[in-house]
Amino acid sequence: MNKYKAVIGLEMHCEMKSNSKVFSSAENSYNDTPNANIRPIDMAFPGTLPTVNLECIRKALLMSLVLNCKQPEYMYFDRKNYYYPDLPKGYQITQMHDPVGVCGHITIEVDGEEKEVLIHDIHLEEDSASLDHYSTISLIDYNRAGVPLLELVTEPCFSSSKEAVMFLEYMRRCYQYCDVSEADTKKGQIRCDVNVSIMDEDATELGTKVEIKNINSFANVAAAIEYEIKRQSELKDAGRYDEVEQETRRFDEESGTTIRMRGKVDAIDYKYFVEPNIPKFKIDPAWLQEIKKTIPVLPRERKIKYIKDLGLTEYDANIIIKEKEYADYFEECVALGMNPKTVANYLTVQIIAYLNKEGITLKEFYLTPNLLKQIIEELEKGTISSKQAKEIFNKALLEKKEPKTYLEGTTQLSDEKVLEDIIIKILNNSQSQIEEYKNGKTNLFQYFVGQVMKETKGKANPNMVRDILTDKLK
Amino acid sequence: MNYIKTIEELHEMLTNGEVTSEELVQDSLKKAHLVNDKCHAFVTLLDDAKGGFVTDDLLSGLPYGIKDNYSTKGILSTGSSNTLKDYVPFFSATAVLNLEKHNVIPIGKTAMDEFGMGGTGTTAHTGNILNPWDLKRMAGGSSSGSAASVAAGVYPFALGSDTGDSIRKPAAFCGIVGYKPTYGMISRYGLFPFASSLDHCGCLTRSVKDAAIVVDAMKGQDKNDLTSWDSSSIHLYDSLDGKVKGKKLFYIKEIVNMENYPDASSELKEHLDNFHKTLKLLEEEGVSVDEVSIDRDLINAIFSVYQCLSCAEATSNMSNLTGIIFGPRGEGKNINEMMKDHRTKGFSSLIKRRFVIGSYVLQKENQEKYFVNAQRVRRLIVDKMNELFQKYDALIMPVSTGPAPYIDGSKDEITKDNTTNLEEHLQIGNFGGFPSITIPNGFVSNLPVGINITGKCYDDVNVLNIAYALESKMPYKNQIAPLLKEEDYE
Amino acid sequence: MHNFTKELVDDLADKLLIGLTDDENKLILNEFNIIDETMELITKIPNISEVTPMTHALDDQTYTPRADEKEESIKIEDILANCDFYEGREIKVPKVVGGE
Repeated sequence: MNKYKAVIGLEMHCEMKSNSKVFSSAENSYNDTPNANIRPIDMAFPGTLPTVNLECIRKALLMSLVLNCKQPEYMYFDRKNYYYPDLPKGYQITQMHDPVGVCGHITIEVDGEEKEVLIHDIHLEEDSASLDHYSTISLIDYNRAGVPLLELVTEPCFSSSKEAVMFLEYMRRCYQYCDVSEADTKKGQIRCDVNVSIMDEDATELGTKVEIKNINSFANVAAAIEYEIKRQSELKDAGRYDEVEQETRRFDEESGTTIRMRGKVDAIDYKYFVEPNIPKFKIDPAWLQEIKKTIPVLPRERKIKYIKDLGLTEYDANIIIKEKEYADYFEECVALGMNPKTVANYLTVQIIAYLNKEGITLKEFYLTPNLLKQIIEELEKGTISSKQAKEIFNKALLEKKEPKTYLEGTTQLSDEKVLEDIIIKILNNSQSQIEEYKNGKTNLFQYFVGQVMKETKGKANPNMVRDILTDKLK
Repeated sequence: MNYIKTIEELHEMLTNGEVTSEELVQDSLKKAHLVNDKCHAFVTLLDDAKGGFVTDDLLSGLPYGIKDNYSTKGILSTGSSNTLKDYVPFFSATAVLNLEKHNVIPIGKTAMDEFGMGGTGTTAHTGNILNPWDLKRMAGGSSSGSAASVAAGVYPFALGSDTGDSIRKPAAFCGIVGYKPTYGMISRYGLFPFASSLDHCGCLTRSVKDAAIVVDAMKGQDKNDLTSWDSSSIHLYDSLDGKVKGKKLFYIKEIVNMENYPDASSELKEHLDNFHKTLKLLEEEGVSVDEVSIDRDLINAIFSVYQCLSCAEATSNMSNLTGIIFGPRGEGKNINEMMKDHRTKGFSSLIKRRFVIGSYVLQKENQEKYFVNAQRVRRLIVDKMNELFQKYDALIMPVSTGPAPYIDGSKDEITKDNTTNLEEHLQIGNFGGFPSITIPNGFVSNLPVGINITGKCYDDVNVLNIAYALESKMPYKNQIAPLLKEEDYE
Repeated sequence: MHNFTKELVDDLADKLLIGLTDDENKLILNEFNIIDETMELITKIPNISEVTPMTHALDDQTYTPRADEKEESIKIEDILANCDFYEGREIKVPKVVGGE
């Protein structure tokens, strides 16, 4: 590895889920048809004014609480002024002076070790329009303009690309768990800015900070960090550290390198000032408490519970917390009285494989916890074998019928009284074999089992048969 | 027939069949063309306008004018700027929609200082807007065309907007009434913004009662404007009773006292004398008027505070004017050159200069000293006013330093001399969002001058009542400029 | 007192995507000196830095946020009616290169 220490900070922009946009009442949803989710303010027609979506405030406060941030007494918005073709108003409405959360922290896990990540702030803002580039022209689609964004800014507290990506992954999960965002990187819902500097292991003063903007996948975040550390380290090795400039770069996916956009002197002065069209909004402490109550148990807490209280392996727990729907499904099953380990086994193997194969989500999965219970319960009781359970599972999914419909034909004969009657009858007709058995020919035990199976057409519960036979042959 | 009447009188004429709405509209259009020829008061004249239904609504069937910075659906709305010279909006401002419910008929869009910036009426893309009392003089701005057309008797009222004094000063120069209610009483949705925290909608009329009727129709909380508020319990017209006995007013010594102006022109002297005479009329009605002293540093800062705040907000508010989505597309090799070309050609010199100042005061390294300090002084001034409003019902002040100045020699540049405070004090009303009304109070050099009454927020009824009482003591109600020949009014 | 220069003014204007004539530039320098003079005086107001900046006309005003309900999109004909260059449903501009 490197002889230098890397210092990394992240800015994570995440598009929020809501019916309407944050400062506009246009629909907030991806739309293939350009300029089809538009209210006048989304294209900054003269005289239009912003309105504020309550649900977006709620979700922003929710995330602020998740990140253990301090919330302001009053919420204000600010204008960030700059000219760019994707910014119709010529400014973005964001939060600079009093963000929805400051001074937070959250614990994540990296390689089994706990790491506390410090949060500088989290703020609510609007997205820009999207530009489609062609050979000589660009076309502007304003559907995305005004879509709510949460921007989370960490302190420079990561020392490796791995830590940074683990944090991003964890936050992505938190957004999903809290139903704040789909947080789907493939849909471009998460974009990151990264800042990287290096310093000698024993140094106390931070190195020169380089910012890499607008990275659209976690893999690229890792690649950009790695590349920057390498680039800066090589310059430092070569005694040319003064060539590392405080600048803004972008990540070029094709070459896997970062490319300079602008230096410090060209840094844009965004001329922030308080948005005069939005008065202050009092954040009612009682409302904040209510919001706090709606925070679901987060993945890390769930994992700890699954391992400690429910006895799962870390491997299984990790798979289950990956998606909130997995974890919710799992917990619902456990609440219905099913054995956690059995459910975990079913979920992590059969169910996830089936979902992947069919390309569906757990919401669309036919076997709800209640239906799954019909199988798991019988399996636990031993009335069906695990092989039978699997067969029923597949059949039920194939024919979309309740598992119990298939249990009739396959149910084991487990009625102790019935089995005992059958066994007594067989033993009464097998006096000579009993004598031989008692004289030491113990392998005749299998003969008796076979007779019971023959009599019950193979339905007898083999364990019970063994138990009863052992008792009777004493 | 003479239609220079109050809204109540016109309504009576309409309901008893003396005149039809169609006749009023045609008469209004005819005069509008004549006034436009002389004063350049309009950007657009709606020659297809037709008379409307007359109901028991006082405003029904009446023609009116709309300042060109109100967005009007299907009607050219330029803000008197080349950047929007062909812009036809697909939606109307809330204030206009509210008025439409009263069956009023717009007959034109009035010219103005570009986007409301400026107080002379000399920056409209359609040419200098002239004062109907004297075509060599300015109408004042920025609601210049609205003031000129109402003063010339085109119609009983027109819409205005007011960021510093843009309704109240042209009203004074044109000898009419100009009223901006408390900030947010009328929605700003659809008003092209100048400086959002200072922008007010309002109207220009020839009587206080008419102003009350019009604003009653314009106002109302709007889901599209978060700064608008519920005024449904306020009924301005119904509340005018002229009872002012025992009311307490004040004026600011540091601005009004003649001692401040050792080199005062004869016009200024006459204007201030006239102001004090007007105060006597109020005293006759049992109103007391005190001279109040305010920290001179605060008074001297008003103008710079206004420039810092209004220019800063304006430069941001008008960043959407790039010619990309609307407005004429600029020329250039790339998009930046196109935007720059659009803006360089589209904006008047005045606006460009203000933008540069606004941008400078917002810059990171300057913001604290200029913009934020200006916001702080704004608070100090507003706090001082609110403190005085605890004791007094309203502030009463002369408007400007006298009658309208000549157009020639007016540059609308930022200058400073010892009369600046007298020119700029109406901006106090915008700092605090205070209701404020100007009414004519006489003549200086045969030209109208005005007096202003400003009260505490949400106390519009009180402000209008004082103005109403004062108006009835003077002979200037419903006066018009002698611009058109007698036969034009018949 | 600040030293306002022609270059400073031109740079400011350029960032605002505005071109200035020399006369305009000169005027701004004059105007600016006047504002600067007063602002210098403001900084001398005792305890000015402790005053909370006033950002809105009605300082005590709060608002009720909008319920999360969507409204119908505006018609594409309206969107494009005032646009000089578009293609299909989108606004057309020369190719945009480089980031914000």
